[in-house]
Amino acid sequence: MASVNTIITNDTPIGFELPPVARRFDVSMFAAGGMKTIHNDEDAARAEGLDGPVAVGPQVAALIFRMMGMCFGEGWIVGGRNAITFRRPVGVYDYCIARGVVRSKEPEGDDRMRVECEVWVETEAGEKAIVGTCSGLVAVSGE
Amino acid sequence: MAEENTAKVRLAEDSFGKRTEFDEIEIGAPLESMEWVVTEEDIEKQCRIDEDFNECYVLDSAYGTRVAPPQIQYRPPRWMLTRTYNVRGVFYKWEFESFKAIRPGEKIMVTGKIVDKWIKNEREFIKFEAIGHDEAGEKVFSTLRTHVLDMVERTAPREGSGIDSGHKPEKI
Repeated sequence: MASVNTIITNDTPIGFELPPVARRFDVSMFAAGGMKTIHNDEDAARAEGLDGPVAVGPQVAALIFRMMGMCFGEGWIVGGRNAITFRRPVGVYDYCIARGVVRSKEPEGDDRMRVECEVWVETEAGEKAIVGTCSGLVAVSGE
Repeated sequence: MAEENTAKVRLAEDSFGKRTEFDEIEIGAPLESMEWVVTEEDIEKQCRIDEDFNECYVLDSAYGTRVAPPQIQYRPPRWMLTRTYNVRGVFYKWEFESFKAIRPGEKIMVTGKIVDKWIKNEREFIKFEAIGHDEAGEKVFSTLRTHVLDMVERTAPREGSGIDSGHKPEKI
């Protein structure tokens, strides 16, 4: 049985900044088997009222989830919670960075702590495209 | 940089037929349920899409096998919405909780329903939930999604045919 080392533990202080995760997108990442969609086609996007093709929201949010997996390991896979808002579209060639800060720690059951983080994804221009909270579980005993 | 869009109509239809209108969506109405089995290939593809190669998703985990990234549960509820209503729109809010690891080969029954709808800033929002249970009846995940039906304001007339229907092949 494998067990993964994690960055967040019971001793992690409030205010701790999670290690950021970044990625530059490319329209080729939003190919849909040759289908024209709002994520890869100018005309399809503009017909829906968008200014141009936009990145697939869950693929942008995945930067946050990768950060949470790194920080909590199995405490993200089971017990993880996510509540995010897509505030503005991300362009299909944008560079994005997921960031997070530990905001609270609450006991959950006898031997675990729920650690809640404020999380967001910002673009190269510094605009927050996604904002919200995510939390994971850590062992209180530090095992 | 794309030029600002001045589209002033909401699309009336696409290749899958007439777009569902706000008034046709009923709070409490169930979404078509589905049986979902995540394969090893699905996990591999999700890791590549998200560039997330956490060893729990690739090699092994405390659950006795590699498991899927929790966000793999994005798709079934969206497929269920699409099976029930012909909606394109865009994603606005996403909540989920993971209760059990999603293992390759396990069958998950996903059920869902519309839980709310409202109008804000002349745009139409719907909120739906979905819950996945394993074959033992234990909850694997739950999720709440808020979706904007159209980017264009609801005062705009409905006309024309869209290129992107929102319908996608039901695979990762």
